[in-house]
Amino acid sequence: MERLKAEAVVLSSVDYGDTDRIVTLLTRSKGRVTAFAAGARKSKRRFAGALEPGTYLNVQLVERRGDTFRLDGADIRETFHSLRDDLARISRALYCLELTRELCRDHEPHPELFDHLLRYLELLSKAAAGPTSLIKFELDALEVAGFRPRFSSCTLCGGELEAPAKFDPSAGGVSCPHCAARVPHGLPISLEVVQALYALQNGSKQPMNASTRSRSRELLNLFIAHHLGRRLKSVDFMSQVGLD
Amino acid sequence: MTPDALNRLVAQLAKLPGIGEKTAQRLAFHVLRAPAEYARGLSAALLDVVDHVSLCPKCFSLCDKAHPQCGFCSDTRRDDKLLCVVEGIADELALERTREFKGRYHVLHGVLSPLEGVGPDQLRIRELLTRLQDTDVEEVILATNPDVEGEATALYLTRLLKPMGIKVTRLAQGIPMGGDLEFADQATLARALSARRDI
Ligand SMILES: [Zn+2]
Ligand SMILES: [Zn+2]
Repeated sequence: MERLKAEAVVLSSVDYGDTDRIVTLLTRSKGRVTAFAAGARKSKRRFAGALEPGTYLNVQLVERRGDTFRLDGADIRETFHSLRDDLARISRALYCLELTRELCRDHEPHPELFDHLLRYLELLSKAAAGPTSLIKFELDALEVAGFRPRFSSCTLCGGELEAPAKFDPSAGGVSCPHCAARVPHGLPISLEVVQALYALQNGSKQPMNASTRSRSRELLNLFIAHHLGRRLKSVDFMSQVGLD
Repeated sequence: MTPDALNRLVAQLAKLPGIGEKTAQRLAFHVLRAPAEYARGLSAALLDVVDHVSLCPKCFSLCDKAHPQCGFCSDTRRDDKLLCVVEGIADELALERTREFKGRYHVLHGVLSPLEGVGPDQLRIRELLTRLQDTDVEEVILATNPDVEGEATALYLTRLLKPMGIKVTRLAQGIPMGGDLEFADQATLARALSARRDI
C-alpha cells in the first residue's frame, strides 16, 4: 500500500452514499487522482470545508486497489473563500476547475498546470482577475496540456496571416486565405483577435476589449470542445446565468 | 434457482438509492420471513404515497393530493411577509424542527451546479419569481447550504430578487453550537468574524 503526501487542489467532489464523498484532486506530484473520503458527509469535523471545489490542500493519500486512493487527511492551505462572494467569480473558478479536470489524465503529473490553476484561483479570490485573465488561463492550460492553438502563422502552410483568416479547431489554429479551401468548416476570425490571442499567449498584460474577448471565448470554447470531445458543462452554465 | 417473484422484488429494491444487490436480497428475505400483513402494509403504503402525495403547486413542498395546497401554505397562522427558500424537502423539515420559523417556504428542488450542468431552468426559480409578483412577501430568506453550489444559488437569486424591491437575507454562517474555535476551518472562522454581532 503506497502512502502519499501531496499538495492538491480539489477539482470536484460528489456525495457517495449517506456518509462518504468522492473527490477528484489535482496533486502537484501525481497529477489527477480520485480519492474516497470516508465519513466526509457525516462528520463535518473530519474534513470540515476542506473538500469544496477550489480548496488548496496538503493531503495524505493511501493507495487502494484499482486506481483510487483513500483520503486519510486533508489540511487546508487556502480556502479562497472570498471566491464565493460573487457569482461571476464562482462560475469562472468552477469553469477553470472543470477545464483542468478534463485536460489532464489520472496519475500523470502536470506541475505547470497545477501552478497556473493555483495562481488563477489566487487572482480570482483577491478580485484581481479581470475577464482577460480567464482567457489567459485557458491559453496557458491548453499549452501545458499539449493543445496550444496556433495564432502565429498559418497552421497549414506556415505562411504569414492576412485577412480573411479562418480558425479551425481540427486544424489546430488559424489559417491564411490561400489555404481557405482546405478548411471548409473554418470560422471567420479577424486579425485583431488573432493578434490579441497571440500576444496573450506570449505574456502580454494588455486587457482585451469586450468584443475581442467575447469572440476569443467563443472560438476557444469550440477549440476546447473539439479537443475534449464534448462541451464543458460550466460553459453552458455561464451562458445560462448571463456571464462571460 | 430462486422463484421469479423473489427475483423481481430484489431487482426492484436494488433500484433504490444506496441499495446494492446484496442489501436488496437481505431486505427481500426479511419481507419474506415477516408476517404477510407486513408486506401488505408496505405495498399499500407505497401505492398510497404515489396516489396521494404530490408537490404543492405554490411552494413545491409535499402535499396531499386531496388538498389544493400543502399544510405550510394553507396554515393561516403563518406569516405571509416572510418566505424561506430551501434546496430540498429535508432542509425544510430541518428548519421546521427548530420551531423558530413561522413564515412560508419555497422549495427549489436542487441547487445551481455548474459542474453538473444544473442551471436556473432546472430549479423552481421561475415559479418563485411568479409567486413573488403579487404577494405580501417583504423578506426572502435564502437558506441554501453554505457550500459553493448553495452560495452560487443564493447569489443568483439575490441578483433576481433585489431589483424587485424585496429584502433578501442569508442564513448566518459561523461556529456551530458546542463548537471549538481551535478546530474551526479558516473559511468558517472568517465568515463568523465578518458576521459578528453586537451583544
Ligand atoms: Zn496557409
Ligand atoms: Zn405549499
